[in-house]
Amino acid sequence: MTMHADPVIQVKHLSFRYPGAERDTLRNVSLEITRGDFVAVVGGNGSAKTTLCKTFNGLVPHYWAGDFAGSVSVDGQDTFDSTVAELSSTVGYVFQDFQNQLVRPTVRDEVSFGPLNFGHEDYAERTDETLEHLGISHLRDSFVWQLSGGQAHLVALASVLAMRPSVIVVDEPVAELDPARAREIYLQLRELNERHGITVITIEHHAEFVAEFAHSVILMADGAPVWHLPVQEAMNRHRDLEEHGIPAPDAVALSALVLGADDDVALDVSTAVELLRPHVAREFTATERPLDPGTDRELVASLRGVEHGYRSIGGALRPVLHRLDLDLHAGEQVALVGTNGAGKSTLMKLLTGLIVPRQGTVEIGGIDTRTRSATELADKVSYLYQRPQQMFLRDSVREDVAMFPTGRRREGAQELVNQVLTRVGLDPLAERDGRTLSGGQQRRATIAIGLAMTPSLLLLDEPTSSLDVRSRDDVMAMLASLSSTVRCAVVATHDMELVASWATRVLVLDQGRVLLDTDPRSMFSRPEVTGQARLLPPQAARIAQELGITPTPLTAAELRTCLPTRDAALTKENR
Amino acid sequence: MARKTRDVLSVEWVRLELLRTAYATRGGLLARMDPRMVLLWYVLLAAAPWLTHNVTVLIGLFVLGAASVVASRVGPLVLGLFVFGLTTDIIALFAASFFFGGDWNTLAALAVLNLKIGVMSMASMAAFISLDPEKLSDALLALRAPELLAFGVSYGYRMLPILVDEYITVLEGMRLRSAAPASRGLLGWRTVLHWSVMSVTAFYPIMLNTAKNVRTTVEALETRGFTYAAHNPKGRTLRLAHLKVRGFDVAVVLTTLALVVLAFAIGVEYPLYRIG
Repeated sequence: MTMHADPVIQVKHLSFRYPGAERDTLRNVSLEITRGDFVAVVGGNGSAKTTLCKTFNGLVPHYWAGDFAGSVSVDGQDTFDSTVAELSSTVGYVFQDFQNQLVRPTVRDEVSFGPLNFGHEDYAERTDETLEHLGISHLRDSFVWQLSGGQAHLVALASVLAMRPSVIVVDEPVAELDPARAREIYLQLRELNERHGITVITIEHHAEFVAEFAHSVILMADGAPVWHLPVQEAMNRHRDLEEHGIPAPDAVALSALVLGADDDVALDVSTAVELLRPHVAREFTATERPLDPGTDRELVASLRGVEHGYRSIGGALRPVLHRLDLDLHAGEQVALVGTNGAGKSTLMKLLTGLIVPRQGTVEIGGIDTRTRSATELADKVSYLYQRPQQMFLRDSVREDVAMFPTGRRREGAQELVNQVLTRVGLDPLAERDGRTLSGGQQRRATIAIGLAMTPSLLLLDEPTSSLDVRSRDDVMAMLASLSSTVRCAVVATHDMELVASWATRVLVLDQGRVLLDTDPRSMFSRPEVTGQARLLPPQAARIAQELGITPTPLTAAELRTCLPTRDAALTKENR
Repeated sequence: MARKTRDVLSVEWVRLELLRTAYATRGGLLARMDPRMVLLWYVLLAAAPWLTHNVTVLIGLFVLGAASVVASRVGPLVLGLFVFGLTTDIIALFAASFFFGGDWNTLAALAVLNLKIGVMSMASMAAFISLDPEKLSDALLALRAPELLAFGVSYGYRMLPILVDEYITVLEGMRLRSAAPASRGLLGWRTVLHWSVMSVTAFYPIMLNTAKNVRTTVEALETRGFTYAAHNPKGRTLRLAHLKVRGFDVAVVLTTLALVVLAFAIGVEYPLYRIG
């Protein structure tokens, strides 16, 4: 087969067991990665994707010493007889929590760190060249703590590329970045792959990126590859993927509905549009989520003429919000969207009373936040941080959930805590420290903390970020059930699927102003707005838009109603 | 009392001041110098006061120290802490010496010590505020400090802003989720106690979180040749190649040396020792 013509990585009968573990993490793995390939490693949680990739640069078995059997060779070099340092010149690794990978104070120093350690005379040229390639030369003198998430990821990538590796491994770029930024990272990776011939290996949960960018796909399950196939064949087997917790991208799932069993599914939006066009109905009957009529639109919070800004390190006042007027009502599920720096977090903090505006007023339930402390306002508002670990202040999940109601001597605090823990499904884990839970469990624990505060206004910052697809669905279902207990919920998010499926109202913030205040469907139907605020509508919505369906279906489920059933489609095709 | 956004004496202000201080963002005279020369300058000014008991000389050095603090653009937070520290020290000594039956003589003797410490503190402020983390770690490396120390210093600086942010976030979470004391108590002692407890307990989650985060850092260091560099000195040579002592650096050190000598000369001419 020509595909394995020039393997850069060869794994033969590899098994690996972490020290002290009960069973092997990698089980008899054999695979080859061709030079110049763009490989996506996919698989459910605990399928050993990361462990596999750490054998490529020798972290396994040299840093993680365990039982190692079989062989891995990289560029002809057996990794067992090599060192992490030597292998790192061939295989660069960008970690999932890439922020912790940055070890030097400035960007320039960070990128030149590797080449300097290895004593490369041309370290300065390598640094400049790499920054240039990734289009981040303007950041060279920035301090790493000033970088946004997307920029920090590019810097981590640059620091790896400066060693001129022939292979780079990128562990879950989408986990910590919003989709629009993650797409930029992928575009860079494609560039490196096509222009510079670098072999790219990504570990990825989001099949949408896999379909669009990868050339081949390795599906891992339980410590061994199920198959390694070219991307088209891999996506044709979307049922296999789904079985292993990787839901098919909308383009794949929708095109599969109108195709025969042996046809190639669509990998991207434009192909999906071509395939769907002959079958689709141009009209869509939206079933809008009605606002609960019983609440009579009671006012929960209101902002009048709010101006706020922060001092920068240089001392100048950097304005964040401009003359903002906003009312939040009972029964609303509000999504707050916009780029980083648009003012989302500032708005949330103003609503909690942690900060007060420089001008204008913020009222929560008729109380001016200037007249109460944040501690007192917490009776009405609760705020859930983006990073769950920052909310674990006590030794166990139960104590964290109980902290607010027992601290304030609420009546029936114990029952409330038990009830909330059951509701988020954390009863069996309630005595554990929150930090030891999985990402999805951590997020549910923070929601429990918020619910136990019985707020009338619940604020959530990026509740679905860095979750795998299944945990994300869990959290989304939980948010959907909030409306019965919380009067008004505001979610700041980059997750457009969440906006499409959960929100009843969307506020688009752009440079400190409300660019648009409407329902999700109207927002996604206005490309000029989504473009300006750099929002990437869900794939299904993009397909629907290109097909010219009105009003725009936002999710795959909605778009499906515009398509004939599978059999009908095939009959039509045959005629 | 109505709350408002404060630009000074707020948590946010302390955060910004820490960063400005740590990263030498204000610039200044010493910030333009080669870091090794800054350290030399520091040793010169910090050692000088310990060579004499002559109050005239010490006053001269104190003025020199104060001038270098101004020239290095030391920020209000650090300066404020220094002045606060010095004055409370004097008041405490004053109280203590009278309590234990001392008199003005004891106090004068202690004032000499305070002058010396003051000069040294001001030299430290001026020097270390002018060294950003890269410069400081390069200087340490150049002076043959252990690799790990030099790296540790720069890594500490890189972590500082993140830890400060994390601390503030955890503290905010505590403010929101803990109950304020029902009454403020005499002079608000309950509120003070509440805040004190919160600000100490806020360290606990941060330590746990950080311990978890550095696992990646250690792996990343391995992949980027940190241990490799420890056995291969070529990287060190390359890293330090940019350090260069220029005429300006020499001029600043020589001028300082001249001024120190001048202070001693004036001291010889108009000596002032404590009476008794």
